[in-house]
Amino acid sequence: MMLRSLYLKTVRDRWVSALIGVGSLFLIAWMVLAVYGGLDSEAVDVFESLPPAYLSLIGIPADSGSAGLAISMLFNFIGPFVIAGIAVSMGSAAIAGEERDGTMNLLATVPRSRSRILRSKTAGVLTIVVGMTTISWLSYLAAIAITGSDTGSLNLIAATVQVGAVAILYGSVALAIGAGTGNQALASGVAVAFIVVSFLGAGLLPLIDGWADWAKIFPWYYISGSQPLNNGVDWTQVAGLLGIAIILYVLAWWGFNRRDVQSGGARAPMLERLRSNPHLAKAFALLSGSGSVRSIASRAFTDLRALLVIAGFGVLFMGFVVGVMFPSISDSVGGLVDSMPESVLAMVGFADFSTATGWYFGEMLTILAPIAVSVVAISAGVALAGEEKNRTIGVLLGTPTSRNKVARGKAIAVIFGSVVVGFATFAGIALGNLAASLEMSYWNIAAAGLLLVGLGMVLGAAAFLGGALTGKTSVALGAGVGLAVLGWGMNSFLPINPDLANWAKISPFYYYSGENPLEEGMNWGHMGVLLAIAAVLTLVGILAYNRRDLRG
Amino acid sequence: MNDSLAIETIGLTKKFGNFTAVDDVSLQIQRGEIFGFLGPNGAGKSTTIKSILDLIRPTTGECRVLGLDSRADAVEIRRHLGFLPADLALYPSLTGKQTLAYLGHLRGGVDWKWIDQLAERFDADLSKKISEYSSGNRQKVGLIQAFMHKPQVLILDEPITGLDPLVQLEFHTLMREHVSQGNTVFLSSHTISEVERVADRVGFIRRGHLIAVETMSELHDKALGRITLEFAEPVPASVFEGIEGVHEVTTEGPTVTAQYEGSMAPLLKVATEREVVSVSSASVDLDEIFLEFYRDEVQAADAAASDGGEGAAA
Repeated sequence: MMLRSLYLKTVRDRWVSALIGVGSLFLIAWMVLAVYGGLDSEAVDVFESLPPAYLSLIGIPADSGSAGLAISMLFNFIGPFVIAGIAVSMGSAAIAGEERDGTMNLLATVPRSRSRILRSKTAGVLTIVVGMTTISWLSYLAAIAITGSDTGSLNLIAATVQVGAVAILYGSVALAIGAGTGNQALASGVAVAFIVVSFLGAGLLPLIDGWADWAKIFPWYYISGSQPLNNGVDWTQVAGLLGIAIILYVLAWWGFNRRDVQSGGARAPMLERLRSNPHLAKAFALLSGSGSVRSIASRAFTDLRALLVIAGFGVLFMGFVVGVMFPSISDSVGGLVDSMPESVLAMVGFADFSTATGWYFGEMLTILAPIAVSVVAISAGVALAGEEKNRTIGVLLGTPTSRNKVARGKAIAVIFGSVVVGFATFAGIALGNLAASLEMSYWNIAAAGLLLVGLGMVLGAAAFLGGALTGKTSVALGAGVGLAVLGWGMNSFLPINPDLANWAKISPFYYYSGENPLEEGMNWGHMGVLLAIAAVLTLVGILAYNRRDLRG
Repeated sequence: MNDSLAIETIGLTKKFGNFTAVDDVSLQIQRGEIFGFLGPNGAGKSTTIKSILDLIRPTTGECRVLGLDSRADAVEIRRHLGFLPADLALYPSLTGKQTLAYLGHLRGGVDWKWIDQLAERFDADLSKKISEYSSGNRQKVGLIQAFMHKPQVLILDEPITGLDPLVQLEFHTLMREHVSQGNTVFLSSHTISEVERVADRVGFIRRGHLIAVETMSELHDKALGRITLEFAEPVPASVFEGIEGVHEVTTEGPTVTAQYEGSMAPLLKVATEREVVSVSSASVDLDEIFLEFYRDEVQAADAAASDGGEGAAA
């Protein structure tokens, strides 16, 4: 009862990007295992000396050695993000993507029911997600074999099953919203926000006394909540996750069958109603309105406003919350950390959560703040190629505007975007510092914000250069995200192995967080390196942009 | 730059890899004329225009606008130039008015009274977002932004796409007014009737080669007519061959179709010697005229394009 050609097209459209996702997981697995493997027997000794409480916190059995630590990172952090991310992107595009592109008009006029179209699309999404999950498991096995790592009694299959079930659930959320409203942006936005909130909720709530059980309302919790690497598959959990996914599928079917098919992008009726409310209209105009038309730079900057509001308030809020949480968790985490030798803490990259500066560094500065600044700065950098992709460059350069000015305007937006996120990070941490009386130096907090601006400028400039050279947004995005992911990975994992530690210096993240600015204060040398890299990438980009044929 | 040509290309050649999109095109467009640039899809029209606008750079040759070099003086040229790209794309999140404000700011200010007049003449609603416009209404915004600063040179690539006949008429009137004030319009199109209606001169491009440039009046003299005669019984084609002005004769049973130049009297004289059941006549499209009169050039262009390898033209 499936439409074979539609199913095959859905799979064919996405298998390459899915394979790239799995391929990068394999590379990260290889890198991480190689780094940890290089630590040899000394590390295993250290590992065995770790307190059982710590091992249980990160969900690995004691006999799995340092490789187990690496594997748990893949299963609990990077792996699910990549797989659930692709599930969401496919789920939201399944029905709503065809409507945005206007191709649903063609698809809906073939003599096949909407139910069959939905069924075939869903089967395609499921095939890719299940296939990706399976191949990711095989690639981890390959990485383990290549590096000759010993993973002891870790149950990789069980962890894979849990990750797959959670990814399917997130994909179903996106599918239901997309099929129900025809609004792809809404579907992927809500589902991605759900992933991020789940990740934070599942990770942070258990640290607070009396709140641990609330973590279970987030799907992310079920990736490692039952510690599948140790205990095998919790089939009740998997059945529950898949059951909810089926309910969401039924909702998608119900919604898709009873509404008008959209063409060329849709608006959710609920959003329309909110938009027409005079009190909210201003807020909506700010988020989705038109922005400035004064100049290229101001327009490029205001084009970022939705991202800026989300990322800016995100880091502001998190900066505050992380600080306020500290007093209530410092006792439990502090005790755990106190029981570990200093050398172990350094090796596992586990920041010293017993101090406010270490807690902020680990919870805020190493992952959250860089993600926020890279989303904004990379989007700003990609926008140069966006003018060509959207074919607006013709009209733009029909005015007496030089290519230099266009490129400069976009580059300025990278800087301003990074500055806003850097300032919001500073403000958030400063507020948390004040509210919880943590007594960190405000100068050092400012230093962290400033270095974050530098990092954002480098990542945005990489995207800018990619777009300036080729005019392709995919290349621009790849350059920015690639540098962010690789740079983050190198700076996070290479220093663990003393033989490779120096190589971390080729990562821009080293100059951002090679040392904790909240403790060490401003490192102007590092800031200088970041600014110099950003300047060189931008200048080369502007030169290249002036020289080539424009697309579109 | 007062008495220089409005637009000039000198030996313009543009290659994309092995494929030659435009091959040695030399054009001279005078001030105060509407120049029609005619050719089938993929002939090299848009590539020529993008080179003039410095969106892409010639492989060899050069382009000049108002005597200024298209590369060195790109910004100065654009001060005096209005451009409507083919397959127009604008910023979806801006309203029509904001789009014009943005492009106006980049021009250092424009006359809003004139914009309001233009909007009224095109019956354009500027309050909606670009993403909510139909393609025809979006095209109106495109036309307004091209005309809004009263540019000395207007380059319009397929301008009437999506416009209803009334708006087309208004657009043609506006174009003639604009030219009567000493300005120039470069009108690229594959719509023969539009070029026929408004252009003073026509250039015909095919497979990257400029086949010919003719004034409209010369073309009208050359204008071929096509006549279809139906006889009571089959007539051999040979009967009509050699008659003065007759170019091509095909027969299908009792139906005879002939192309002729000038007066159709000699042809009719021969035809009415037999029993004619019905007669119908029509004029021949411009591109057919080009194909007929420049057969050798067209064949040479086709041959050169085949030698140079095939590919998609921009």
